[in-house]
Order: sequence, then C-alpha cells, then structure tokens
Amino acid sequence: MMMKAYLAYCGKSFSKHISYRSEVWLRIFGNIVIMFIQISIWKSLAANSNDNMINMSEMVTYSIITTSVMNLLMTRVYQTIDSKLQSGDICSDLQKPISYPWYLFFEQLGTVSFQLLFNVVPSILIALLLFGVQLPEASHIFPFLLSLLVAMVISFLIGYLVALIAFWFLTTFALNWTLGALMTIFSGVFVPIWFFNPYWAKLASFLPFQYLGYIPSAIYLGKLEQPYLILIQGCGWIASLLFVVNLLWWKAIKRLIVQGG
Amino acid sequence: MAIIQINQLVKEYRTNKRFTGSFGLIKSLFSSEYVYTRAVDGISFSIDAGESVGYLGPNGAGKSTMIKMLTGILVPTSGDIQVDGKVPYRNRKEIARKIGVVFGQRSQLWWDLPVIDSFELHKHIYNISASDYNNRVNQYVELLDMASFVHKPVRQLSLGQRMRAEIALALLHHPEILFLDEPTIGLDVIAKHNIRNFLRQINQETNVAIMLTTHDLKDIEEICDRIIIVNHGQAVFDGDIYHLKKEIGGINKQVTIEFHVDPGEIAFPNALLICDEGVRKKFEFIHHDGEENSLMRSIMSIPNVEQIKDISIEDMSIEEIIHQAFVNLTQNSKIRV
Repeated sequence: MMMKAYLAYCGKSFSKHISYRSEVWLRIFGNIVIMFIQISIWKSLAANSNDNMINMSEMVTYSIITTSVMNLLMTRVYQTIDSKLQSGDICSDLQKPISYPWYLFFEQLGTVSFQLLFNVVPSILIALLLFGVQLPEASHIFPFLLSLLVAMVISFLIGYLVALIAFWFLTTFALNWTLGALMTIFSGVFVPIWFFNPYWAKLASFLPFQYLGYIPSAIYLGKLEQPYLILIQGCGWIASLLFVVNLLWWKAIKRLIVQGG
Repeated sequence: MAIIQINQLVKEYRTNKRFTGSFGLIKSLFSSEYVYTRAVDGISFSIDAGESVGYLGPNGAGKSTMIKMLTGILVPTSGDIQVDGKVPYRNRKEIARKIGVVFGQRSQLWWDLPVIDSFELHKHIYNISASDYNNRVNQYVELLDMASFVHKPVRQLSLGQRMRAEIALALLHHPEILFLDEPTIGLDVIAKHNIRNFLRQINQETNVAIMLTTHDLKDIEEICDRIIIVNHGQAVFDGDIYHLKKEIGGINKQVTIEFHVDPGEIAFPNALLICDEGVRKKFEFIHHDGEENSLMRSIMSIPNVEQIKDISIEDMSIEEIIHQAFVNLTQNSKIRV
C-alpha cells in the first residue's frame, strides 16, 4: 500500500479545513449549545422524577462525551461520494492509481483529526468549565480510547455502505433520512440505552449503531461490565461490514454510471 | 507502436423508461421497462505513441463515454479495448499511472488549497522522485507562466490560470497518454493560444500521445495531426485534415477577381463560376491531384490580365470543413471510415 500517498491525502484534507476559520468557532458554539440543551433536559427530568434513576453528574458527562464522539464519526463519507456522483467528479478520483476506499478513509481521517484538534478538544475544555465532567477511572481509559477507534471505523463503514447503495439509486436522500433516524435512536446520543425498555435495549444491542455513541460513553463511565468483550463484538461488526462493503463495491464498480456527461 | 487499440467497441446505456401523464408518473415508479441507448456503436481505431488525435463529434456523439472507457471507469458493453496492451477496466490503477486526464469543465485541483499543494499530492500519488518532481514543476511553471499564482488557493484563480494548473497537474507524472476533454472551453484568445502552444511543445518533446475532444476547431488545427469524427456512436472519418478537406471538397479554392472594367464573360476549364457581378467575379477552382499550379496558370492566362485590380484566394476554413462534415453526417452519408 502506498502509505505516503494516503497520508498526503489525510494531510491535505486536514489543511483544507484550516481555510475556513469561522467554521471552527461556529462548530464549537454549536457543540456547547447541544450539550447545554441535553443537560437542561436531564436536569428538568431529574427535578420532576421521584426516584433517583437519573444521576445528574453522570448524565452531564454522558451528554458531553456523546456530543464529542459525534464529531469524530465518519458517516459523512457518503455525502462526499454523493456530491461527487452528482457532479461527476468521481471520474477524476477513479482516474488516480489509488484504492478508492482507502482514499476516502484517509480523507475522512484528515477531517476527523482536524475536528478533534480544533473542535472537540476546545469544546470539552469549555464544557469542563461550564458544566463539569466526571474524570474516568484509570482502568477505563484504554478501552475508552479503543472504543473511539471502533466508533470511527464502524461509522466509516456504515457511511461507505450507504454511499455504495447510492450507486444503485443515484441519490442518497431517502437513505440519509433513514440512517439519520436509526443513528439518533440506536446510537444512544440523546437517550442512553440503559433507559430503554428491555425490548428496545435488546434491539439496540443487536445493531452496530450503539458503537457510535453509547458504547464509548458507557465505557468511559464504567457502566459496562465487560468492555473488552463488547469491543470484540464491535470488531465482529467491522468484519461483517467490511465483507458486505467489498461485495457491493465489486458490483457497484461494474455498473458505475457517471452522471453529467 | 499502438498505445490505444479499439476494436468494434460498443457501449449501451440502460435507463428506466419514463411514462408521461399523471398515471405515467406512478407507472414509472414500478415499471421495469428500459430504454437502451447506444452511446458508442462499433467503433474501431488505434492510436500510436506520440500521436496527437482530435476526437470530434456533435454534442452527445459519445466522446466523453469513449474517454471514460479508455480510462477504465466505464465498462464497455462489448468489443475490445486496450490501452498500452492492457484492458483499462480490469487494470484501472495500473493504467492510471500511464495516463493524464484534463476535463475542461471539472477540476482535479484542491479548491481550498494553493496550486502547489495539489502538485505535492500528485508527487506522492504517482511516486514521483524529488528531483523529477522539482524539474517538472519548474519547467511547467516557466512554460505556462504560473509563477504568479502557484502559491494561491485555487478558488482565487481565473479560469485561464486554473486550466494551466490543471494541465500541468495532469502531466506531472509524465504520462504516456494525455486525454483532454474540451481543455480550452471558456478561455480567452490569449489563454487558448498559450495552452495550444504548450500542448504542441509537450507533445513533440516528450512524445506523449494526445487525445483531444473539443468544439474549438482551432485546437485541432494547432495541436492535432489526425482527426477522428464520430456521430451517433460511429466513426465516420479517420484521417488528417488534408484528406478530410478532400473528401468534403474543401480542398477547392475560391478565387475572387476584381477588374477595373467589366471584361465580359470569362471561363476556365478547371473552375466553376459561382458569382458574376461584372467587375467582380467569383470562381471555385476544382482541385486535381498533380495539378497544384493550374490555378495560377489559369489566372495568368486571362486575356486582359493587366485589367485585374485585385485577387483573393481563399481556402475553406477548418470551421467550414467540419461544419460541412457534420451536415453530411446528419444526411447520413458516410464520408469514409
């Protein structure tokens, strides 16, 4: 593999974002607003509930982590492919001596690295001052970092899968809608899965979306008894998604219709 | 040595059939009827290393489809296609190292980054050695006069500047074939001129084969030695401009002679009188091989030659020739294959 070329893509994608500085401020602001709204909702729920089901400091931390993790996801890769399919720019990409999926992955990696440095880290620092965050136990740090990696890879593969399906429909609007709904509910971004009723919790545990928000946060908070086992299952998801994606890629490349001339 | 070899190539597109009317819309959603269109319909040709070929045809004649098949991103329906001895769609990445592609209406440069960043990226993608890279960048920056904008973000460039950068980028890895899809579209006269000169020079110096589609026939005249004309997916002419002129009748010369006083009727054995206004007469001299100087002899043989005030001899321009060729094509008369 030509690592240098892919790292160069990663670097260019990173520096591309630097040219839009105002976006950095807007995104940090947006993150803080989302965290604020979530924390406010939990506060009012906690105030109105009789039992002590809601642990406020836990929920603050949960909201901050899921919001941050959302910024590191690569599901947006399908938007890149979709716009390239519409404009026909995908031709130029395919005329390069590179593997297309790896190129997409490293381009996303550049974007995510930028987000991490200029968006997530500042947002967390501000959130720390505004709302306060529980620090993780030392034993949770390593599986937490691993879970972030799993989240990134799974999100990339899901985004890529959606993009490949788009080869058949030549548009991603409907898929985008469905994916958005599935992710909002089953990733546990807004409501942690431990609040789901048993039926829905079971369903969520059979889907890959929980790795995109719930699992990293739950590992951070020490809510999972066997974090490594869950992560190994995550790797199983990666393997099966990889299989499906590769299968579809071979079919898609056969019927590639590049629009726009 | 043939670098591109195409034999009876066919590309068929399948699209869902659309029905009209309000029920038609619903019918379209469920229907599995398809409409087949042949963008490329049994074309054969070969291009040698270092050749420069203009690939011409009206809009929708299947030119871009051909370039996409040659670069391996579109799979042909049937027929043989080989680029440098390999089937492009089976060896996309290998072929990609040997070709450069420029789309006039599309950009391969990174919009938000300086031009030089895109060059650096290509250095890594194509594994260009540092010394080769520096030499080529310096050469192209000088030849294409890019020094003033090579460090500017692409979005701030003018179209002419951007096109020069696109062409330099496509040539950075010294491809064996350069595909250009309307490279001068929307450019001003000077920019067009510079780009044509540069392409001609690169073609001669590095022996890169050029395949060019364009609607600006000056491009063809100045860059290409050979023309392939396609229409309705078929090649209707393949040869040089001289032969095309001959087929079309464009090799005949139109001669307008202006006299001081009306000399009366004048006739030549090798010319037709097109227009007679008394003092001004217009003839079309029919070309015959081996009698290249008969035109001058005929004119000199006019009895009252001292009465001639002015003479203009006109060749048919390439625009007129291609226009004539397209007109002939729409009348479905094949010129020559």
